Amino acid sequence: MPSLNPHLVVQNIVKSFPKTGPEKVLNNISFEVSKGKILGIIGKSGAGKSTLLRCLNGLEKPDTGKILFQDQDFTDLSSQKLREVRQKIGVVFQSFNLLSTRTVFENVSLPLELLRLSDTERQKKVENILNLVGLSSKLNAYPGQLSGGQRQRVAIARALVVDATLLLCDEFTSALDPHTTLEILRLLQDLNRRLGITIIFVTHDINVVKELAQDVCVLDQGEIVEQGSVESVFTNPNHAITQSLLSELLKNDLPDFLQQQLHLEGKENDDVVLKLIFGSQTSTKPLIANLIQEWKIPINIISGNLDHIGKATFGHLVVSLKHQGESTEKIIKYLTDHQVGVEKAGYIRW
Amino acid sequence: MVMNDLLFKALYETLLMVFGSTGIGILLGVPVGVILYNTSQQGLQPCKKVYGPLSFLVNGARSIPYIILTVLLIPFTRNIIGTSIGTGSAIVPLSIAATLLIARCVEDALRSVPKGLSEVGISFGATPFEIIRKILLPESMAPLIAGITTVIINLVGYSAMAGTVGGGGLGDLAIRYGYQRYDTVLVVLIVVILVILVQCIQMLGQRCTNHYRR
Repeated sequence: MPSLNPHLVVQNIVKSFPKTGPEKVLNNISFEVSKGKILGIIGKSGAGKSTLLRCLNGLEKPDTGKILFQDQDFTDLSSQKLREVRQKIGVVFQSFNLLSTRTVFENVSLPLELLRLSDTERQKKVENILNLVGLSSKLNAYPGQLSGGQRQRVAIARALVVDATLLLCDEFTSALDPHTTLEILRLLQDLNRRLGITIIFVTHDINVVKELAQDVCVLDQGEIVEQGSVESVFTNPNHAITQSLLSELLKNDLPDFLQQQLHLEGKENDDVVLKLIFGSQTSTKPLIANLIQEWKIPINIISGNLDHIGKATFGHLVVSLKHQGESTEKIIKYLTDHQVGVEKAGYIRW
Repeated sequence: MVMNDLLFKALYETLLMVFGSTGIGILLGVPVGVILYNTSQQGLQPCKKVYGPLSFLVNGARSIPYIILTVLLIPFTRNIIGTSIGTGSAIVPLSIAATLLIARCVEDALRSVPKGLSEVGISFGATPFEIIRKILLPESMAPLIAGITTVIINLVGYSAMAGTVGGGGLGDLAIRYGYQRYDTVLVVLIVVILVILVQCIQMLGQRCTNHYRR
């Protein structure tokens, strides 16, 4: 994804931990993120996601390779310079990492204290950002008195209070329940839109990528096996890992009762069961309705899981219709002509 | 009453020795403990060359029985205080003991802070000193105070041995007047006072600990 305005460029990062073994935890990782974009890095556990993120904020030093943040390579900066760069990068951790002895206000104000801002300036900035994350009523609460979602909001506020332009999030949803996760995702989207913050996050949850990211990198065994816009990667996954991650999103199996009644040879009066796979720009045409009108065939929709990623319809639909030899083939051709994948699952007698 | 005067004087001496040495012990022990933590394997700036000898010194000195330490330190005490006898002089070896005990406490307390919190500091561009001062020390207050409470109680025990160098105090009174003169009532009285003193210290320490535990 080359772009004219890269915010962070990662070039050929290699990282290994000689103490634990010779294998490379990160192997030749390259990608870049433009200003204001949201990049999701997804992989199963042990894929190297967290190590990659730790390299991005300088908590780990890659063995070789470059990381350019606003055109400045920070893999070989002096510790003083590195500290300055870090102050422009906000980090949100999986376990929140709030100071238990400081109030919400004091937690968020910590990075500003490090910048030696005056009390009044700090007050203003902290109140501003807490307002933005919707926590202005909890200024004086201690983290122990907050819910998981509220704690993560504090952590996000703390990461952004220094006017960070880049936000790194490490598995920030895994300690949260699905509802709270969604809330936090909405918040990040909102911050991204309103403040133009670039966000890079790592996760093992494909749903988070789908909801939040614009671009995605799929990481497996320390290598990026696929990358691109979420739309293109999700609708046309090439690598087995991507496909298996996506299968979590699409429960691809036929309903149990149907599976048991299916047979492979079609007889007269049977219905044919088709699995329609939507994976590219097909959404605007009323395909099913056209089918019914043109062929005068009643179509029975059995199950489905359709969703949108960007403008693309994405998902699958299981339908059954009267098996009529030749016309079945025509229908399949009609659908495939419109970029709908068709799998014949079998035949059934209702 | 003579006995009362003696008791009050002894209590005063004990308190002076215990809290005087605690104060000095905190002043010296906290920096030593911070250096120990910071240069250890899990620290922010691991350095075996500093940690190894320092840790050995702290452990070595702690393994010397306190009464021997007092005697060994007599020349040193004489150098600082001018005399090796009296309550003031007794504070010197007590302070050394307090420093060593507190240094370990500080090291352990700092280590009990989750590593993620130092990483927060690092990712905000904080210097190691700022991380220790603004994050690690405040966050480790609860275990730190609990540890220092134990140290103070140890020092109450040590202060009983101050009689060896004419330091006075409750322990000394109990031995000289109570044990050597067969005054059982006085011994019991002093023990009761010591028990109450230790209880008070423990209670106060617990309160402070709870204040910081959130």
